[in-house]
Amino acid sequence: MSEIKKSNFKFLKTFKGIRSDRCFLACAILLVIFPIFVRDPYILNVMIISLIFAVLAASWNLICGYTGIFTFGHQAFFGIGAYVSSLLAMKVGISPWYGLFIGGMAAALASFLIGLPSLRLRAAPYIAIMTLAFSEIVRITCMNLVDLTRGESGLWGIPNFPELHLPLFGVISFAGGVRIPYYYLILIIFIITMLTLYFIVNSHVGLAFRSLRDSQDAAESLAVNITYFKLLAFIVSAFFAGVAGSFYAHYLLILTPSSVFSLGMMIEIMAITLIGGLGSFMGPVLGAFLLTVGLEYLRFLGEYRFITYGILVVLMILYMPQGLTKRLFRDKEILE
Amino acid sequence: MITGTLVIEQLLNGLVLGCMYAAVASGLTLIWGTMKMLNFAHGEFFMIGGYFLYFAVTFFGIPPILGLLIAVILTYFLGVLVERSVIHPLLDKPGWEISPLVVTVGLSIFFQNLSLKIFGERFKSVPYFLDGIVEIFGIRMAYQRIFILFVTAVVMIGFWVFIKKAKFGLGLRATAQERDAATLIGVNVKKIYTITFGLSCAMAALAAGLLAPIFSVNPWMGHAALLKGFITVVLGGLGSFGGAILAGILLGTIESISVIVFSSEWKDVVAFVIFIIVLTIRPSGLFGTKEW
Repeated sequence: MSEIKKSNFKFLKTFKGIRSDRCFLACAILLVIFPIFVRDPYILNVMIISLIFAVLAASWNLICGYTGIFTFGHQAFFGIGAYVSSLLAMKVGISPWYGLFIGGMAAALASFLIGLPSLRLRAAPYIAIMTLAFSEIVRITCMNLVDLTRGESGLWGIPNFPELHLPLFGVISFAGGVRIPYYYLILIIFIITMLTLYFIVNSHVGLAFRSLRDSQDAAESLAVNITYFKLLAFIVSAFFAGVAGSFYAHYLLILTPSSVFSLGMMIEIMAITLIGGLGSFMGPVLGAFLLTVGLEYLRFLGEYRFITYGILVVLMILYMPQGLTKRLFRDKEILE
Repeated sequence: MITGTLVIEQLLNGLVLGCMYAAVASGLTLIWGTMKMLNFAHGEFFMIGGYFLYFAVTFFGIPPILGLLIAVILTYFLGVLVERSVIHPLLDKPGWEISPLVVTVGLSIFFQNLSLKIFGERFKSVPYFLDGIVEIFGIRMAYQRIFILFVTAVVMIGFWVFIKKAKFGLGLRATAQERDAATLIGVNVKKIYTITFGLSCAMAALAAGLLAPIFSVNPWMGHAALLKGFITVVLGGLGSFGGAILAGILLGTIESISVIVFSSEWKDVVAFVIFIIVLTIRPSGLFGTKEW
């Protein structure tokens, strides 16, 4: 009896897991060719939402997983990007293509403002609550400025992206509820985000980030400029959240404060990152697809969906605190 | 029109509100002080406490004050159950800085949606414990609010004495100061953790029960309570019991006064902005001295 058990474990030990870099490349290729095989608008919609959450969770992972700053207001940056870009398009007539960038910059500016007072705080709860308070300020302000944002009744009639003239593909139109152009746009945003994060985490900046996470005192004594790197982490992660928000606004074409600024949004980002694996490069992406697709499958549970969600998060922390990715990939997983 | 009576009435209202913030925050600060964890499900214990009171009063016809006692005791045992089943296995594992945060967020989603499923979306109202209004020098005040002030003051002072004098309080403070040393001299740290968690939940239920007649009971009531509780506890300095009470009263008063100056929908923004400014100047909070 015991021998059988032992041999079982031996099998597990010889199984070294999948090479993460190859798997990553394979997934990227699969995502690029995905719409050739599947054209169902519902499935494409789920994929688009998954990619939005992948960008959000990956950017939060940079500040929380790699730099060790436990912020709890990432949804504010997402919402700021969405509102800035759509208001500029509606009131001033600035093209949503510029809006993508401007939305990201606006979120980065906001993160700079909240990053400054957070600099002196070290313990996770203080930073979490400070950023939570900030996101609540943004949410309530957005709800109260009825003249500008129409308050809780929400913005509608947000323009979608103007059509694009590309030399090889001809005219690409985003009008009339098409999904495939949006899918490729968010895929490009996603790939740019992941590449940027990859270069950051792999460079000396990433090294500085991780040194902050492991020990601030040690980092400081080795002449790591804490102020600079902390603010950099804030700004970079908020920028990508803002871009994702801007895309979200011009994709759904309707925006309410409770849809983008709610605490539920932050909880989802956190659950995704943790289930995938905090501080692992692929973790947030894996988590985003698992949870978004999973929640769609859980639709049959009806009202029990979120109850199940809560139980899942609890069980995950209890039995697999390091996340799924570290179970799946036994090599160093691009970078741990 | 800003008149003297209005200001005094608002100040008194702020005091009542502040007492509630203090009651919610003192539970949070208690478990931070001993266990070094933040409970994101605290608001849900607040909500469940409110529902316990509602069912005790409307379904079983128990008098409200007795019902409050029952709600507090039931919530205590629920807290103990949760600590034993979910928090306990995480103790002494790596990642303690974040894992309880996440696990309690999961619990919060679970409890909130469970009560939405069981109790429905309808707001439930609870009758006043005491009817009537007292009027002194033109300042009107409901007996219910005076009752709130009285009960919170008694409970807080009682708790303070309990921590300072009782044997359990001694163990609790020893655990908070130096866990390993406390274990060495024979304090059962794990038992202290469980009881502290239960007490913290009971305190939230007390606050909810007292407030239930003024606001009403609903599945989302925990959210606002949790947020204000967090702000209060950090403002007072995490882990400081006196700080939580003073900061709670301060925050309640600021909010009530800001209603006179600005309009009521901006009062939370005022409170949060002041919170961020204070934390920027004094990272340890107003009365905290420990690490931040």
